[in-house]
Amino acid sequence: MSRFLNLPLQKKIVSIYMLANILIFIVNIFLIFGINSMSVEMEMVYQDNRQLNELSESLNDVQDSMTGYLSSKTTDSLENYYRSAQTFQTLSEELGGKVTDLSFSRMRRNIKNMSENYLDEVSQTVEAKRGRNVEKYRAYYERATELYEYINAYIESLNNEQFISNSENYTELTGAFRTFERMSVLVLSLVMIGNIISITLIVGMMIRPLKNLADSADEVAAGNFDTTLPKTPYHDEIGIVTAAFSQMVISIKEYIERLRESMENERKMQEKELTMEAHLKDAQLKYLQAQINPHFLFNTLNAGAQLAMMEGADKTYEYVQTVADFFRYNVKNHGTEVTVKEEVTLVDNYIQILNVRFSGDIHYHKQIDERLLGIMMPNMILQPIVENAVNHGIREMGDKGVITLRVYREDNYACISISDNGKGIDQESIDQILSGNWQRKENQNDNNGIGMDNIISRLRIYTDDEKVITMKSEGEDKGCEITIRLPFENV
Amino acid sequence: MGTQEKTERSSDKLNNQRILLLLTVLFTITTLVVGALVFRFYLEDYRKSSDATEYDKYYVMITDNYKTDFWQAVYKGAFEAAKKQNIYVDLLGQNISGQYSCEQLMKIAIASRVDGIIVFANENEEMTSLINEANEKKIPVVTLYNDSTHSERLSFVGVGSYNIGREYGRQIFNIIKDKRTDDFGNSQAAIRHTTTDVAVLVNTDTKDSGQNIIISALQETLEQENATDSEFSISLVPVDNKNAFSVEESIRDIFMDNNIPDVIVCLNELNTVCAYQAVVDFNKVGEVNILGYYNSDEIVTAISKNIVYATISIDTEQMGRYCIEALSDYYHFGNTSQYFTADVTLINNDNVDDFIKKEEESYE
Repeated sequence: MSRFLNLPLQKKIVSIYMLANILIFIVNIFLIFGINSMSVEMEMVYQDNRQLNELSESLNDVQDSMTGYLSSKTTDSLENYYRSAQTFQTLSEELGGKVTDLSFSRMRRNIKNMSENYLDEVSQTVEAKRGRNVEKYRAYYERATELYEYINAYIESLNNEQFISNSENYTELTGAFRTFERMSVLVLSLVMIGNIISITLIVGMMIRPLKNLADSADEVAAGNFDTTLPKTPYHDEIGIVTAAFSQMVISIKEYIERLRESMENERKMQEKELTMEAHLKDAQLKYLQAQINPHFLFNTLNAGAQLAMMEGADKTYEYVQTVADFFRYNVKNHGTEVTVKEEVTLVDNYIQILNVRFSGDIHYHKQIDERLLGIMMPNMILQPIVENAVNHGIREMGDKGVITLRVYREDNYACISISDNGKGIDQESIDQILSGNWQRKENQNDNNGIGMDNIISRLRIYTDDEKVITMKSEGEDKGCEITIRLPFENV
Repeated sequence: MGTQEKTERSSDKLNNQRILLLLTVLFTITTLVVGALVFRFYLEDYRKSSDATEYDKYYVMITDNYKTDFWQAVYKGAFEAAKKQNIYVDLLGQNISGQYSCEQLMKIAIASRVDGIIVFANENEEMTSLINEANEKKIPVVTLYNDSTHSERLSFVGVGSYNIGREYGRQIFNIIKDKRTDDFGNSQAAIRHTTTDVAVLVNTDTKDSGQNIIISALQETLEQENATDSEFSISLVPVDNKNAFSVEESIRDIFMDNNIPDVIVCLNELNTVCAYQAVVDFNKVGEVNILGYYNSDEIVTAISKNIVYATISIDTEQMGRYCIEALSDYYHFGNTSQYFTADVTLINNDNVDDFIKKEEESYE
């Protein structure tokens, strides 16, 4: 069975087809054989009658030729007699001499023996005729004729009886033939049904792996590479395709895995590259910073301040001193964390410098809870915010601009608020700024180069809180307030 | 999990299918084989019907009329006896169309070179010469029922005609005795002695010695039983049996006559049946007593109905068996007894019931 199923598909199909055909063929052969034997039997039914008729005819020939010879004594009739006697003898010998239950056989035996006797008598008659023994041949002739009549009667009876019996046989045979017909139709139908069932089953068995394969292929098509791969039950084409499909699915899975790995690698490489770049930039920046050498600037400014003091220019001294402090903050700050006080001082310095630059235009108010000045926060936060407020809020207001810095406590938060009474800002822009989507305008040369987005992201990273900074504006020309809320936990 | 179940299920299904397939193929092959075998046996059965036992020897029995119950019964006895020795006996004439006399049948039998002939013979010269001719051709001939005394027949198988005659005589004497008592009772009739007329139906065509013996035995018995001559008179009524149907006519003629006999003695089966029917037809039941011959069902029934007074039952089976014994003895020992006598019994109203019962038993 399994050997059969392992055959190639074509051979399988052909062999199934051939098997079915051979079965039907065998049935047909049986049928033909049966019909043939029955028809032979039927042909033979009346064979006996034909034989007897022949015998009867040849008996008549013998009698006629004998009579002819007796009456005319011609050579022709003698020849006829010899010939017909020979035929008759041959035919009568065919009858057989068996004695059985069957009346036919006994009748045949009797006819045969009587025929022999008859031929004896006839030959004696002919002999006597030759010897011209009138007395004798008459007597023989009479005896022969009597026998002839008996034989004829016997043959006739036998013929008749055999005809009756043969007719019965014929009827029986016809009946048998009918039965045979019915039986063959039955056998043929059963074999047909068996064939159909077998073919259906075998084809089903052949197609099953294909169906399994189709199901699996469907699943794979739907993206499920983890489907159970169909087994390969037979090594036919379907088996080969199934095996190939399984191999393919496994290969694809492996390939995808490899692809993912390589992509991962690439990503890591890119990350590395980026860090490297950042480091490079950092280095470059440091390099540039190093070139500026703030110490030098700071020392220079200090020198300038001393000079101003010695010359008695107090205001100049104070200004230069403030500028020097402002720069010192930058120089001093090597870490990223500073106290609020330091930041506030930076703002103070900055405002002072601006007021010198713009001749005291900016009104600067401070409301500070001294207890909160020791809280730590990221450096370079407040000064850029104030710078923004000055640049975008109150720059064009002349001496009416007011900047208010407040440090106060609210719940568990230390709040630092910077507000102005400037132009204000619309809500859309606020949202854009807070979400980091603000498009910096061209040529907007920001003071120290530190943008709002930088501040916002640094604050957020520092506190891990999205709402660390809020912006508020009442509307146009109503100023703007930026509030930073630092949780105490961070302090 | 799901897919695994599915595979399990599908493999189960596959197994089931395999089993189903195997069964189907087996079924188909079985159908084929059984169909072929049934057909073969059917044909063989059909052919077997033509098979038959073969016999060593072939005897023929020749009778004047093979159709009568009597000959059929004898033939049956002979047939059964022969079959045991693997010999077949044919009742010649049965198979040949047309009517043949015993002599013609003898010629056919001789020409057929049979192994033995059992013939219902007569004293004709032709028969005698035919028997002799058969003998010359080494075919043993047994005469049955009627002898051919002058021929070289091997043996004669018959009934004790003398015994039959005696039985008839006794029955007739009984009838006479009945008449006597009637006469005594009838005072007027006492004056006039009535004579019992006995008519014996004899065949015209044969010089039958048996018939004569029966008649003489009958007379002898009556004389011995002290019946006076005036009490009975025996007449021989010839019955023409040469032509077909003439027997019946001859018997009817008796009843057309004014002198209807008191007792009719029939010496063969056909005569008995004809006489019986005539008595019924002419409304003479009780007036005419029939002494019948042979125990066919018809005759036995007639006895139980009191239409036939008595009949002779011949042991036909024994008769047939003796024929075969005689022929077999010839083949074994070269010779055999010249005479065989079959038993006869009388059946009358007294023992007819027993007889019927016995017959029924033997049939069963």
